[in-house]
Amino acid sequence: MSEPVILTQGLGRQFAGKWAVQDLDLAVMPGEIYGFLGQNGAGKTTTLRLLTGLLQPSAGTLCIDGLDHRTGSRELKQRLGFVPDTPPLYDYLTGRQYVALVASLWNVPRRERDDRSDQLLDRLGLAEHADLLCKGYSHGTRKKIHLVAVLTTAPRVLLLDEPSSGLDPMSNKSLKELLLAESARGTTVFLSTHGLELAEQICHRVGILARGRLRAQGTVAELRHQHAERSLEDVFVAITQAATP
Amino acid sequence: MKLLAADLRVLRNLPTTNLGRRTLLSAAIGIGLLAMLTWWFAQAVVTNPQLLARLHRETGGDELRGLLGYGLMACPLVATWLGLALAQRQLFEGQELALWRQAPIASARPAMQVLVRATFLSCCWAAALALPFLSAMLQSRQAPAWAHGLALLTIVGATAPMLATLLAVHIVLVRFFAGRWLRLVFALIGALASVGFSTWLLMTMFARGHERVQDVVAIASLPRQLPWTIDTGAALLAAAARGTIDIQALAGLASWLVITVLVFRVVADLHPRAYERYLTAEPPLWRNHRRWSTSVASTLRKKEFAQVLQQPGALIGFLVFGVLVFALAKEQVMVGGILKVTRVPRDVTHLAVLLTQWFLAVLLVLYAHMGRLVLADSAQWALYACSPASAFAILRGKLTAIFAFMLWPLLLVALTGVWLLDANVTTLAVFVGVALGGTAVAMGVLAVVGTSPALMRPEDSGHTAQGGKNFLGALVLVIAFQLAIVPVSLAIWDQLANEQNHRLLSHGLALQWAPIVVGIALAYGGLMLLLGMWLGSRNLRRLLRAK
Repeated sequence: MSEPVILTQGLGRQFAGKWAVQDLDLAVMPGEIYGFLGQNGAGKTTTLRLLTGLLQPSAGTLCIDGLDHRTGSRELKQRLGFVPDTPPLYDYLTGRQYVALVASLWNVPRRERDDRSDQLLDRLGLAEHADLLCKGYSHGTRKKIHLVAVLTTAPRVLLLDEPSSGLDPMSNKSLKELLLAESARGTTVFLSTHGLELAEQICHRVGILARGRLRAQGTVAELRHQHAERSLEDVFVAITQAATP
Repeated sequence: MKLLAADLRVLRNLPTTNLGRRTLLSAAIGIGLLAMLTWWFAQAVVTNPQLLARLHRETGGDELRGLLGYGLMACPLVATWLGLALAQRQLFEGQELALWRQAPIASARPAMQVLVRATFLSCCWAAALALPFLSAMLQSRQAPAWAHGLALLTIVGATAPMLATLLAVHIVLVRFFAGRWLRLVFALIGALASVGFSTWLLMTMFARGHERVQDVVAIASLPRQLPWTIDTGAALLAAAARGTIDIQALAGLASWLVITVLVFRVVADLHPRAYERYLTAEPPLWRNHRRWSTSVASTLRKKEFAQVLQQPGALIGFLVFGVLVFALAKEQVMVGGILKVTRVPRDVTHLAVLLTQWFLAVLLVLYAHMGRLVLADSAQWALYACSPASAFAILRGKLTAIFAFMLWPLLLVALTGVWLLDANVTTLAVFVGVALGGTAVAMGVLAVVGTSPALMRPEDSGHTAQGGKNFLGALVLVIAFQLAIVPVSLAIWDQLANEQNHRLLSHGLALQWAPIVVGIALAYGGLMLLLGMWLGSRNLRRLLRAK
């Protein structure tokens, strides 16, 4: 039995005395796609920022791939890839230059970088945009370019914040195929999303967060079963409403 | 009214956040400082009986009108500066424009709102530069309180029409000639306006007393030859100082204001189409398909270069800076006194002039380059914080790029030495050697200040702080740079002064000293750079840590 790649126990973060995330226990296995669902402000982005090491937990422990977050080591960062909701592209670099910048930060050798990025750019239909300045990209293209950059670094853990927002149906399909392929390669995928359809289609397990606490987790089938075979949307609404005072 | 109310609400909400408070504080410090300097100068004018008597003679007893006209002269300058520097961004690139264009409001309303905002901003700056002077003049004549209120109207009257005209011209040009070239022309004019205004401010506010007095005499002695809005405003205030209202001037000023706003309102109808053309006129720019290397430092260096080379505005900024350096050198700013010294060989004088000009040029760009270390990457900070790249490699990459950019002032000053001073090769070589050492010192200071967590701490959002801390950062940087070069400058100066006391500093002796001076400068520069990089990478490590 393999060890969880993402393991949190009692993880929490406070802002100005108020808990944004509290008592979070997660165990995400290698190659698993874990969907993190929740309303706006439920604490999904805070959780992602804790997992990426951008935020320090106020409570609990967090291990990524067996490495304690407190070490904050470069080895740990090397294994992580993060795709935020707003991609941090430079307006006056081209897409390809941006990918090269990210790859260099993650110490990717030149040949691997070029092979992987060319393949990914083709796969996401970005080859003709790659030598244009990022300034002119649509939101969806910006997101895809950043995804290409992150996947070029071959992360063992891929964290995504709202990956499908702003993508057209074709790109959405490519994204799903890409994430499934990454999962098949052994990459652990942790994504926060409002797209219940995306969660139903590709996530092996989902967790529902409400008011900073994990209220339920399991496979989509398990959650439906626990809530009288209703749709994931109904399950989500029921759990979220139950958590509202 | 809804857009106006929204803007007012934004202003009211500003002090409720840290960022807003800092922004307000920064603006208040800048504007307050200018107002204070203007007030001091005005006090110096009203307590200078010779100046007042001279103006009285030259204006035939109309000196108050001339002085008030002098006070109002800042208004159209501010309007020109902001009109040229901000018009393109505010009229065609503002974030709210997309929303305003969709909203069921009059099609001219977005442009009108831009005018309102620009007028408000311009009037704040113009008031800082003009109101203290006007108030001091009115106070010196025991003018009634309402005259001070009228001063505000004259400031608006001297500012808004110029601004409305410039914005209208922008709209018309974009409506009919939108394209890459027009955008470049606007960017160039905007950059020139910013540099021109800063230079004017620098040379006016920090000019020597007698030079400013000459300025006052030149402008105030011919009040009727001033631009019409200025002279009318001055006439209105001069009458108000005597307790009467010049109805003709008031009506003239008010009607000019109304006419320009009405004309702008007509032109504003072209704004929706101009906005559309602005967005669609420029085709995407293709870049060549060259692959970058994989080392962190090298990629970051290339990234910094690419951001300058691929951004027309940034390139133009470098060119404009060149013009500024040549203008300062031609006007002999800060070096007039040195050039008059005859006791030392010409080479030494030239070297002193070049080093002074280089020092001034570096001070002008140092803060802008410091932003490349942390501030300019605020939106991308999370990327660096998540990456396994070492802080030292990141710092090294950025510093090497900045070092290359800092060679631009050095090159410009060397060229002014050739063209304006006719400096010889040896002098230029010594200058380049010493200035390279100085650049290394600047890099060391920059590495420490530009990464200091107290000044550059990224916000929770991942963005770095803008506002009051930036002003403090600039101040700390300039002072730290000056302090860093003081020890070695003093040591060299002391040695030279000693030599001068014992024997005359001859050309031969200067030549003999040259390699030693260059060696000391380079060694000291290298030491400061290493120290700065060590402290800077420690700072950067702290900035990249989880919050």
